[in-house]
Amino acid sequence: MAETIDQTTFEQILEMDDDDDRDFSKGIVYGFFDQAEATFLKMEEALKEKNLSELSSLGHFLKGSSATLGLNKVKEACEKIQHYGAGKDETGTNDEKDEKVSLKNIEKTLADVKKDYKEVEAFLRKFYDEKESSD
Amino acid sequence: MDGGQTTTNTAPAGNSSDFVRKLYKMLEDPSYAEIVRWGDEGDSFVVLECEKFTKTILPKHFKHSNFASFVRQLNKYDFHKVRQNNEENGQSPYGQNAWEFKHPEFRANSKESLDNIRRKAPAPRKQTQHNEDSVPTQQIDLLNQQIVAQQQQIQHLSDRYAQLSVDHQIMLQEVMRVQKTVLNHEHVIHQLMTYLLSVDARQRRDSKTSAPFQAPGQGGSTLSPSQVASMDDEPSSPLQHASKLLSDMNAEIQFNLGGLDSLGEPPKTAPVVAATPALEAAPRNGVVRAPTAAATAPATPANPANPATTALVYPKMNGEVEPVVYPVGATNGIDPMYSEHVNNVPYPMPPKQEVDDPRRQFAENRKKSTNVDPGWMRHPHILLVEDDATCRQIGGKFLYSFSCVIDTAFDGLEAVNKIQEGSKYDLILMDIIMPNLDGVSACHLIRQFDRTPIIAMTSNIRSDDIQLYFQHGMDDVLPKPFTRKSLLDMLEKHLVHLKTIPQGMETAQPPAAVTMAAQSSAGQSVKEDSSPSQSPATSIGTWQPSGQFQGMAAVHPNLQQVPGQYVPATPAAYAVDQNGVQYPTAPVAITAAAAAAARPQQRRQLSDMASAADTPNIAKRPRVYAPQPQPMVNPVQAARTG
Repeated sequence: MAETIDQTTFEQILEMDDDDDRDFSKGIVYGFFDQAEATFLKMEEALKEKNLSELSSLGHFLKGSSATLGLNKVKEACEKIQHYGAGKDETGTNDEKDEKVSLKNIEKTLADVKKDYKEVEAFLRKFYDEKESSD
Repeated sequence: MDGGQTTTNTAPAGNSSDFVRKLYKMLEDPSYAEIVRWGDEGDSFVVLECEKFTKTILPKHFKHSNFASFVRQLNKYDFHKVRQNNEENGQSPYGQNAWEFKHPEFRANSKESLDNIRRKAPAPRKQTQHNEDSVPTQQIDLLNQQIVAQQQQIQHLSDRYAQLSVDHQIMLQEVMRVQKTVLNHEHVIHQLMTYLLSVDARQRRDSKTSAPFQAPGQGGSTLSPSQVASMDDEPSSPLQHASKLLSDMNAEIQFNLGGLDSLGEPPKTAPVVAATPALEAAPRNGVVRAPTAAATAPATPANPANPATTALVYPKMNGEVEPVVYPVGATNGIDPMYSEHVNNVPYPMPPKQEVDDPRRQFAENRKKSTNVDPGWMRHPHILLVEDDATCRQIGGKFLYSFSCVIDTAFDGLEAVNKIQEGSKYDLILMDIIMPNLDGVSACHLIRQFDRTPIIAMTSNIRSDDIQLYFQHGMDDVLPKPFTRKSLLDMLEKHLVHLKTIPQGMETAQPPAAVTMAAQSSAGQSVKEDSSPSQSPATSIGTWQPSGQFQGMAAVHPNLQQVPGQYVPATPAAYAVDQNGVQYPTAPVAITAAAAAAARPQQRRQLSDMASAADTPNIAKRPRVYAPQPQPMVNPVQAARTG
């Protein structure tokens, strides 16, 4: 999980939990799940509509929250989507004139990020479930 | 062969060397013609079949079968291998693998001249000697020059060192004196406290026994009856507070003295290791940022030692200085000295252990560094403008844990409205990309009527982005994803005015305050003085009068390594040295200069040396801009967020 979750970032959120439960961090993490799934759906739609700027801003949006939780892989993919949607290459440095290429890139990245997300989601759900059963 | 220069030497053949005679004899044997024979011109001999020659002929004539040593032997007698593409032959006429050797005196049918072939030795080479003799003198002259230059530089350095140690002593005494004053003050305060406590106790006793309205008359107290009543048996709260301050101060003074001890040690012994923990103790509270540093200093106990140890240790660390996080050049609104920015430089993630048990992965026991109270005079009011729920929640929680009062806005529009409605905040944290109204525009609007510090919270921290933020009136940038620490640093940086001065700081820690305040500048200047990489620039000017001896530059690298080790030596030693060596200087200098001019070739060599020696300088130079303590403090965190 090391490259998927930035331990330091995530730990400092866990530190914010009260002593006896993990309600705070769990609330945030589960809230993020909802947010991410909703965003993926919106991305899907925007992809159908070939709405690149919407894709870019959705990418940016999810990038922020995933980064805050330390979910590196998701964050990186979202960043790529943000760049692609803005008509750039994946690093955001060079222009990509061809919208079709950008859409194609986003499609692929979206598929990847969903996978990464599923992975980290499963991990985190397990993390909180086991917490509860052991507490 | 025609023996044009036949010598008068008619000594018997027995006079010539064994090796040469054997060689000659070998070549006389026609049965070897396929393997080794005289060259076509008769002025050389050719080994045609190297392998056979080595195996069959060498053992017979020279009692060994080592072609290499045969060649070595030939070289000793000044035979030379004829190059294949010699202008005479173009290509070797004897075949690819042939070895052709030549000696001017070694000819077919000229047995007499064999006597002239001798082993090479220093003595026999009389003719060349004259030429080569003059070169070393010049070299020596130049070397002398360099030595003199070095002497002067050493002298300069030792003078400087002496001066610095005197300064150091003075500083030390000054610090001691201040320390004493502080202790005296402390005693006075203690006595005052005791007195006040006794007064306070008496007063409380009185107020209890007598009617409440009597209180105002007692000991000039202005306490109202209700206040007195509420106090009951407790000492009055200002007094309580003062006692607490005092006890805290005591602890800090203890530490201070500890710091002083290490300050008094000769710099040479200040171990690098010791410097590091000291630094790590101070990461959060500035050191980097002088203004807040003085105010925030829970970590100060270690600080008095810091400037001394770090600065002095530096020269010894030479190449190993921690890597600088930011490239040189314009900071573009990102202050390389500023930890948040450092933290958010894209760094490779540090390798982490793969642990799959979710419970083990996040250490439970890290707990409760939570809810630090940074020591505000009152709770800071913060407006958090953020459209993303996750960021808002976490940011809010962090702020809450820093004892802040939080208000939130979901976008720029709401933020502007709140300010317009007259809500007062101490700080606004503003996301940039938001629906309805982005952070930059919101900031621009707010700036029309309000000066509350606004901090951009964003992951877009390219230099042009940041420029834009500043253009529209933002005060700082907190790169996302922010960490708890980066957030706290940001608060402390912009809310200095809300910080209570940590107990005892102002009174008990003059040394700390002084050194810390001076640190950014002093650290720099100390470093400039002792930093090897800079010394050439400064010292050349003083000791190199003529400036035309490029060879001198070659001196520096050596000297640069030395400063650390100079320390124990006494200036006297240098003086003696200098007198001893200086006598040849003046005359030599002149001849050397002339010689150097006369022999450009020689000079070129030396300047080559010089330029080669310069390269390490260049390589080292980047170290100069390293903000000294800071990068050492943060490498781990810097790596984290990448």
